[in-house]
Amino acid sequence: MSRNKWQVLTILSLIFLAALGLRADFRAGFYAPVEQGAMRQMQPEVSSTDANYGAGQFPQLEPELAAGDGKETLERNCSLCHSPRYVTMQPPLPAETWAAEVDKMRKVLGAAIPEDEAKKIVDYLSAHYTPETRKR
Amino acid sequence: MADTMGKLNRRKWLQAAGGSAAAIAVQRTLGATGLAAQEPSSTNPIPDFTGPGPNPYWNSPGQWVSYAQKAPMILLTDRPVQLETPRRAFLSAFTPNESFFVRWHLPVIPNTVDLKTWRLHVEGNVERPLEMSFAELTTRFKAVSVAGVNQCSGNSRSLFQPRVAGGQWGNGAMGNALWTGVRLREILDAAGVKSGSLQAQFEGLEKGMGPRGYGSNRFMKSLDLNNPVLDECIVAYSMNHEPLPLLNGFPVRLVVPGFFATYWMKGLTSIRILDQPDDNFWMKAAYRIPDTPRNSTTPEEMKSGKVPTIPIARMPVRSFLISPDGSSKIPAGFPLRLQGMAFSGYGGIRRVEVSADAGAGWRDAQLGEDFGAYSFRTWSADWTPARAGKYTVAVRATDAKGNVQPDAGVWNPGGYEWNKIERQEIVVGESN
Repeated sequence: MSRNKWQVLTILSLIFLAALGLRADFRAGFYAPVEQGAMRQMQPEVSSTDANYGAGQFPQLEPELAAGDGKETLERNCSLCHSPRYVTMQPPLPAETWAAEVDKMRKVLGAAIPEDEAKKIVDYLSAHYTPETRKR
Repeated sequence: MADTMGKLNRRKWLQAAGGSAAAIAVQRTLGATGLAAQEPSSTNPIPDFTGPGPNPYWNSPGQWVSYAQKAPMILLTDRPVQLETPRRAFLSAFTPNESFFVRWHLPVIPNTVDLKTWRLHVEGNVERPLEMSFAELTTRFKAVSVAGVNQCSGNSRSLFQPRVAGGQWGNGAMGNALWTGVRLREILDAAGVKSGSLQAQFEGLEKGMGPRGYGSNRFMKSLDLNNPVLDECIVAYSMNHEPLPLLNGFPVRLVVPGFFATYWMKGLTSIRILDQPDDNFWMKAAYRIPDTPRNSTTPEEMKSGKVPTIPIARMPVRSFLISPDGSSKIPAGFPLRLQGMAFSGYGGIRRVEVSADAGAGWRDAQLGEDFGAYSFRTWSADWTPARAGKYTVAVRATDAKGNVQPDAGVWNPGGYEWNKIERQEIVVGESN
């Protein structure tokens, strides 16, 4: 056999083995980059022998709301009482449900949100958190 | 920011890798092997939210989070804190304290409690107002224990159709513990309830930022003094033989066996005897259910404004399959043990039945140890699926009053009292 033929055979064999190897890759030893972060363990409580019983500060795990007109108005008016996670936790809700929620916060729960800002908040929620508009 | 914790988004990573041979190989391999969304995956997270359809997962879809005194929990909200118990924690009759769900209503919750200053006040329409320290409370009265299920009124709210606003719980807003404390009646007797009194009002350590006189400022719940449940209530200082975790109401919480958790006041500081009905927001407007069959109605009827409502009270019968949970494929011929638990606020569990064909045929499951009428009751049933295929396992319970779990959902605007028969798809693969 000529030297060329050996070269061709070697290359073909290598490609064949590489293909086999690739196939084996997804059966074992396969790792992939992921979106998830790793969660840290927290220090176990170490306290003095006095009468205080504590659990430390609670983590602030506030999500980033969708960018858009009214986001700042919502954050300024709503965050006194609750995290914006109260918005992102919800399923996509119809605009009229969001309007009713904001109305409840103002009239039933006493949130001091001026009328024009309440409207802006409802418009923002309708623009980003309804079945038609919610992206994330 | 938990949402942005993992910045290395897969698509971005592939873009950053700039079409290198390795990146392409990874991408093609993923495609070729069909590691699609229906397979269990360590690299493909479930979405951040569900809807507008019902939540398809057993738990809510939130992220795992780490809190003091707690095992990893599922995050609903960070302020006020709401954390859901993962499914596996329900494999035993008693839910570990570290996995017990957390639900606060107002943002100002205790980071520490000083037992030098903490007092339980008994006040209002009483002969002898009391102010008791933790030490006095635990020594002055006889200790009693009850195994009791604490379930959020809105447990499984994410299964409602149409969806309703509120905490989007999966099925993990419940837990069972052995509660030890003192009888509420003994405390009331020590204070001497005056005649003409109507209700006992409970308030705890949580406070709000809203204006005075609004529900966003204080959280208070009341029970009628002539409600028989008062004879069973205890002020609990022990949970599964341990102090209560701070997030579950240290130093004491009210235990109302058979009733939804809204009445189980955490970090209890005040028992106030009222001679007028409590008309605060949390009684008059919140936690109310339609006074209709199964407390169910429709959005249209609610809009008419003619649906009468009553305060929520006892928990309807429920049951759950805990294992297998559908996250693993089962080889055909594998001897499985279906395991789960059941409970009811109307007396103990009399019977649990399972079905491996989506509810067409039922057979009795074996009941586990009986810890009393208000406890989880575990159950098990052996099942060997003979052939490969997709099976739907269903479970239904019957309580001591003869109430059988229905195969229809409910709808009410608060998203309360879901107790439909649960189903779980089990995928069985070929074994040779």
